[in-house]
Amino acid sequence: MTIFNRNPLDLNPQGRPAMPDATPTYADAKRPQPVSTTPIAGAPMTTSVISKALKVTGQLESTENIQIDGEVEGDVRGVCVKVGQGAKVKGTVSGEEVELAGTVDGKIEAKKVLLTGTAHMSGDVVHQDIRIESGAFIDGHCRPEAGKAKPVQAAFKPVAIEKSV
Amino acid sequence: MFALARRANPAPLPVSQLERALTVTGHLETEGEVHIHGTIRGRIDADRLIVAADGTVEGDIVANDVRIAGRMNGRIFALSVTLDPTAKVAARIFHNSVTIANGARFEGRMPWRPPQYFASLAQLPETQP
Repeated sequence: MTIFNRNPLDLNPQGRPAMPDATPTYADAKRPQPVSTTPIAGAPMTTSVISKALKVTGQLESTENIQIDGEVEGDVRGVCVKVGQGAKVKGTVSGEEVELAGTVDGKIEAKKVLLTGTAHMSGDVVHQDIRIESGAFIDGHCRPEAGKAKPVQAAFKPVAIEKSV
Repeated sequence: MFALARRANPAPLPVSQLERALTVTGHLETEGEVHIHGTIRGRIDADRLIVAADGTVEGDIVANDVRIAGRMNGRIFALSVTLDPTAKVAARIFHNSVTIANGARFEGRMPWRPPQYFASLAQLPETQP
C-alpha cells in the first residue's frame, strides 16, 4: 500500500532524490573560458610576425620564432629569427638560427647564419655555421666562435601582474 | 596626424602577430593592425589593436579601435574601445565610445572625449583628470 504513495522521484537506484547533474553555477557563468591560442606543450613553435607596416623601438625577446618584415630599432632575440626582404634592424640579432634577407645595422650572433642574396649586413657576424649567397652585402667581420654563440635564454619568465585588477 | 587621418587610407596592411612567447619592451608603431598574444611593455600606436586573452600590455595604447580580451595596465586612447568578457583591465580609458562585455574586469576612469581630441593626439597628455 505504502509503495503507491511514494513520490516516483525518490525511487532512483541510489535511493536518493534525482538531481540534474550539470547545474550551471554562478562561477561558470561569470568565467567564460579564454578563447584559443593557448599553446599546448609539444605544440609546434609559433612565429611572431612584425609586419612591414610595424616599427618597433625597443627590445624583442622570444623563446620561439620571430619573423621581421618591418623595422626594429633595438635588440632581437629568438630561436629562429628571419629578417625578411625590405626589413630593417638596427641592433643585435641573436638566436639559434638567423636568416637575413633584409638590412641589419649592428650585429648578428647565431649558431647558424644565412645571408641571402638580398641581405645587407653592416657589422659583425658571430657564427658557428654560415652560408652566404651570391649578392649579399657584408661590411664587417665574420667571426666563427665555436660554442660561444649565446644560447637562447632557457628561462623565460612569464610576466607576473602584481596588481589585483 | 593621428587616428582620423589614417582612416582615409583604406588599403589593408598586413597584420602583425605577436605570439605568446614574445616580449617587447619599447614602442610599437604601425598604421595597420596588431594582434598581441604576448607581453608588451611600453607604448603602442596602431590603427587597430587586439589584445588576445593571453596577451598583456603595460603602458599606453593609442589607436582607432582597441579590443581587449587579455590584461592591460596603463592608459588607452581610442575612438572605440571594447573589453571582452575575459578582459582584466586597470586603466584610464579615454574614449569616444566604449563597450564593456559582461564579465570583464575593469578598474579605472573612463572619461568621454570628442573625436577631435584623438585626431590631434600626437603627444600624450601627461596630466589627466
